[in-house]
Amino acid sequence: MSHAKRFSISGIVVLFLILIPLITQRTDLITWFTYTLLYITLSQSWNLIWGVPLPLALLAGALGAVIFALIIGFPAFRLKGVYFIISTLVLAEILQILFYTVLPRANVLPSKLLNAYSLTPRYYLSLVIAVLAVVVVDWIRRSRLGLGLMSIREDEDAAEASGVNTLKYKLTAFLISTSLAGLGGGVYAYYAAAVRPGYLFSALWTFDAVIIVFVGGVGTITGPIIGAIFFVLLKQLLSLYLPGGSHVMVFGILFIIVVLYLPGGLIGLISKFRKA
Amino acid sequence: MVVELVAQTVVNGINVGALYGLTAVGLSLTFGVMKILNVGHGEFLMLGGFIAFWLLRLWGVDPFLSLPLVAAALFLIGAFAYRLLFATLSGYDEHVKVKNSLLVGFGLFLVIPHIARILWTGDERAITPFYSGESFPIFSVRVGYVPLAGLVVAIVVILLLHLFLTRTYLGKAVRGTSENWKAAKLMGINVNKTYMITFAIGTATAGIGGILVGLTQVISPDVGMGWTLKALIVVVLAGIGSVGGAFFAGLILGVIEAVGAIFMGPYAVALGLLIFLLILMFRPQGLFGKA
Amino acid sequence: MLVVDKIDVFHGELQALWGVSLEVSEGELVSLIGANGAGKSTIVESISSLNPLAAGSISFKGIRLDKEPAHRVVEEGVCLIPEERGVFPGMSVLENLELGAFTHDSRNHRHETLSSVYALFPVLESRRAQKAGTMSGGEQQMLAVARALMSRPKMLMCDEPSLGLAPIVVKSIFDAIRQINQSGVGVLLVEQNVKAALGLSKRAYIIENGRIMGQGESKNLLNDENVREAYLGTG
Repeated sequence: MSHAKRFSISGIVVLFLILIPLITQRTDLITWFTYTLLYITLSQSWNLIWGVPLPLALLAGALGAVIFALIIGFPAFRLKGVYFIISTLVLAEILQILFYTVLPRANVLPSKLLNAYSLTPRYYLSLVIAVLAVVVVDWIRRSRLGLGLMSIREDEDAAEASGVNTLKYKLTAFLISTSLAGLGGGVYAYYAAAVRPGYLFSALWTFDAVIIVFVGGVGTITGPIIGAIFFVLLKQLLSLYLPGGSHVMVFGILFIIVVLYLPGGLIGLISKFRKA
Repeated sequence: MVVELVAQTVVNGINVGALYGLTAVGLSLTFGVMKILNVGHGEFLMLGGFIAFWLLRLWGVDPFLSLPLVAAALFLIGAFAYRLLFATLSGYDEHVKVKNSLLVGFGLFLVIPHIARILWTGDERAITPFYSGESFPIFSVRVGYVPLAGLVVAIVVILLLHLFLTRTYLGKAVRGTSENWKAAKLMGINVNKTYMITFAIGTATAGIGGILVGLTQVISPDVGMGWTLKALIVVVLAGIGSVGGAFFAGLILGVIEAVGAIFMGPYAVALGLLIFLLILMFRPQGLFGKA
Repeated sequence: MLVVDKIDVFHGELQALWGVSLEVSEGELVSLIGANGAGKSTIVESISSLNPLAAGSISFKGIRLDKEPAHRVVEEGVCLIPEERGVFPGMSVLENLELGAFTHDSRNHRHETLSSVYALFPVLESRRAQKAGTMSGGEQQMLAVARALMSRPKMLMCDEPSLGLAPIVVKSIFDAIRQINQSGVGVLLVEQNVKAALGLSKRAYIIENGRIMGQGESKNLLNDENVREAYLGTG
């Protein structure tokens, strides 16, 4: 395979993965596991099947994601902290079981699109979406919404007491992040050209996103970007020598180290070196 | 005819439920005493099962004989894992502790199955001593020897645990520490050591559970998380703080799933998850827990 | 016996104690008095090694307590009855007492200790199967004192034993403390109830805003004008 092609392939995966983790750096730490919503990308693949033009399909995917988010979020939202996290995971598991049994077969792109499959436009598409995600998140960070979210992260009760409508803010963050996830999923479906709906609801996507964000540096913009690049590179490298999925193990160890000793992730580590 | 079917289903449900209960007990103890939610609990179960599997395969050790060995091994592994990973969390606020322990446990879930896969391949294994498939009838219900023995083992383990907690000094120290760790310290109880022992007991029971899973179902490197989820459901169903309650809740879940399977087929798995959510929303203290 | 030497203690970023020094000799009953928030609890908690020291040292019979973990302090013979009493509410009175004798030495002698504790507080014997959380404040305080005695301490530290209790109950608790001291156990009594504390103890320290502001014989302090004005409400 030519260098350019190889580059594009890695590039596309990187960018796609960047997309997802950026979502998770929503400062409200409690909403991590909501990325279970990545699943929603399902809606996207349906649309592709029906031959809907791409941009519309992507939007529909994002919208579908939001709808599912509300379905999953609604019962779970009344719960706090850990229970919320576990509940969203459990709900997603239920949905996955449902979709695997109801729609067991893979959905494939319509054949004329398949014949014309080329990597480069997909690469650019991913790039665009990734940049969009970064921009959105950055904008949020500077906005009132971001301020509110950060106060919720620090101390939810205190925030509530100072007049921050925590439910509204959390819901907004949740919805924005899930729609971004939906977009990401749409791009993925376009890239993969054939997906089994149930697979997209797999908790593995959430786990990937979570570990990328944490290892990179939770709560920062550049953290997940570095984390994603690192993740994809490691994946390609390790798959040459060890059974598939070993990159997850390495990241798992890094993850534990970060949780216990390096709350700032890799970004935090880098800035520590800078100060020293 | 229908009665027989229902009876058989209930018996099967109890057998599986005993496993659920046993697995949940360790998780409940750990969470109740030190507010550590070890999402990697199922991985210890998996390890226990594999140790027993290889003991049988390589040296012909009967799985019921390897029970104490596995329990001891998983106790040590758990103590080690606690010191290495979870001990750093013990100083924090409860709120932070729970979240971070969730993450660390998650990390274990990422790492351990992989190592297991590299060592033992991803194949599913079953522990099959020579008496594996045999069963005997009670009225017209078939009771397998192995599942029955598994039920007995589970009950014995839970009883032993109960005795430990109520009759021994160390066990009482564990209970005291879970009620008020500061007061425990002031009584000369080494709280860190107590935590470590509690955690290790949790992993030891998981290991025993793993043997039973290997005997009655299959184990593979990926089987851990599924059992962690089951344990979580049972813990929530039972409520924190009740060891016996966890066992009964496990039985209840097992029977509900078994009966549900008659009507819902493969969807029955979702039943457990649904129960989990319903309990969390409407009766968060569980069936037997302290409010 | 107990020597606290110029300790500094922080709660997070805030300094709670500045250069605090005090001493308790063998068999002495010493009071530590001061207003709410003055730092009294911080001192005794630091002696019990629940707080790290930023400066200074704490020794008991020559052994550095601040270098030991909390459970070892109890083994050395120093036992704290915290302000919140520190009983295990879900466990029975007897279980609480048994756990009080957790350290090896006290565990071996627990039967005799239990008898003497029951003699001191008969109500605990009659309620020994009752869950500690269901007892009245006064009974819980007695239980707290009793379980501290189960560890066979050489020195007892009581943090505000009179808090929230009716005067009659307070009297019986203080009587018990006096009896304990007379049997040879040193006592460091931390109290907001200045009059009662000074009446019970021979010597006292006064703490204000994290600093020791005065010390002396209790009867002198009782008659001291400043003390009377600040703590006893009379001029």
